[in-house]
Amino acid sequence: MAIISKKSLEHLAELARIELTTEESKKILKDLKKILDHFEELKELNTDKVEPMTGGTLLRNVFREDEVDFGQKSEMTNIEGRIIDSFPEVEKGFLKVPKVFE
Amino acid sequence: MTHLHDLTIKNFHQGLVDKKFSALEITQDFFKFIDSEDKKIDAFLSLDKESAYMQAEKIDLLIAKDKPIEMLSGVPMAIKDNILIEGQPATAGSKILENYKAVYDATVIKKLKAAGSIFLGKTNLDEFAMGSSTENSAFKTTKNPRDLSRVPGGSSGGSAAAVAAHMALAALGTDTGGSIRLPAAFCDIVGLCPTYGAVSRYGVIAMASSLDQVGPLTKTVEDAAWVFKTITGHDPYDATSASREYGNELTHPDLEKIKRLTIGLPEEYFAGGLSEDVEKNINSTIAKLKSLGLKFKKVSLPHTKYALSCYYIIVPAEVSANLSRYDGVRYSAIPEVENSVKNLKELYVKTRSVGFGPESKRRIILGTFVLSSGYYDAYYSKAQKVRSLVKKDFDNAFKEVDVILTPVSPTGPFKIGEKVDDPMSLYLADIFTIPSKLAGLPAISIPPGFQLIGKHWREEDILGIGQFFEKIV
Repeated sequence: MAIISKKSLEHLAELARIELTTEESKKILKDLKKILDHFEELKELNTDKVEPMTGGTLLRNVFREDEVDFGQKSEMTNIEGRIIDSFPEVEKGFLKVPKVFE
Repeated sequence: MTHLHDLTIKNFHQGLVDKKFSALEITQDFFKFIDSEDKKIDAFLSLDKESAYMQAEKIDLLIAKDKPIEMLSGVPMAIKDNILIEGQPATAGSKILENYKAVYDATVIKKLKAAGSIFLGKTNLDEFAMGSSTENSAFKTTKNPRDLSRVPGGSSGGSAAAVAAHMALAALGTDTGGSIRLPAAFCDIVGLCPTYGAVSRYGVIAMASSLDQVGPLTKTVEDAAWVFKTITGHDPYDATSASREYGNELTHPDLEKIKRLTIGLPEEYFAGGLSEDVEKNINSTIAKLKSLGLKFKKVSLPHTKYALSCYYIIVPAEVSANLSRYDGVRYSAIPEVENSVKNLKELYVKTRSVGFGPESKRRIILGTFVLSSGYYDAYYSKAQKVRSLVKKDFDNAFKEVDVILTPVSPTGPFKIGEKVDDPMSLYLADIFTIPSKLAGLPAISIPPGFQLIGKHWREEDILGIGQFFEKIV
């Protein structure tokens, strides 16, 4: 049975780019234990020959012609302008972010 | 004077056409009522009076010129705050989007705008639609209009409460595992979750993409049919939306045909654990439907008990992927974080740690876990197979019956605060709405607290029975 240790929780949080306080860690460990215990019931089911359902629909390969739709393009240009306007910080039309390396 | 309590979409439309009142008058009445009533309900997160009045005047002008209007023209609606309306906030109930303003209209909004609907404001929800009580909102807790000490259900609790308290004529919500149907049942109104793929999700903030659907919350089944008819349809911007045409029977059911349908009662849903009230209501509903000539048959959905585990593996997995886009850069920043970080990684970590609430963090961590190498097969892959089995149960049952009837939830609305510390007990509120959702089926919640599940693309069956039922109660 899978148990998430304090150390593996730290690793998961790091992967998810979330910092947990000591209190939060304690609560999450307790909650996850309960939830994972509940999941144990799935082991009762033999699913060796079952195909997975990988999405909400059986639709496949939704393609369209690779053509420029000019009506759509001008709408998208408008949206693009509004997206840039909503950036936290802009320089010459580019999104400005804090530096990546120290 | 027209009383807001008496209005449905249908009779509002008649009133407009007969010039008994104007769209502007009614819209003003709604805002006046919201200003006083919502102080105790807390259904709305933001209001947009200016656009609403402008839209109302446009409709009144059409009527003055004797131009034809549509059923939804001038209808004042409330919109769940995870659906984008251009220029309006769309917080998804999260602090991480507190300062975000939508830059375009969701497709459902575009369709409603084209039909002339009026948007009163955006409604409260559990953060990113994760929850069954609307207590997970970062901003406020919505109260149940039927009993202010109780939850309205969730996650579309603000939308359900707004309609139930007569602060909107109809509302849009989203349903991933029960988020339209449960609050509809708890607030004693109608909520329709359409077939997966029937309504575009373009411009709807994603939670679990293999399950999320948009649908109406209304006072009557007939109203739900009208809203659904307006928002359904293929959308090239949402590859999961299907090209399906629905006929006139959605809103004009053929009662003789409806009478010949057979309704299945799945034994697993009645195996005990129902509260006394729920059981009493279900029995009286079945008796009424029988008196209309509908036939009932016992069916079995043997994998029902595994649906909850299956759902709570698949959903967090998809949540951890969908919520990775919130980084403090692309969808507005949290000012106190932005001004205090040294580098990009710190910006990501601080934004997400401050911006996400407890349930979001729990699901992101759980999702990261079930997708991690070493556990992927045991959890995520297993859950997808179990999902197939749950779907197959319904496929088999629908060989014998046309529609399935169940309670929406094992109990009525619980007290505010009663389940906040125990996520597992909160998850259990959705055990009757989750299985049909995993199978992508349409389902409707109708007072008093029963659910009709239809075959794929057979909304007309469940809406038809619902409209039939409505006529006799």
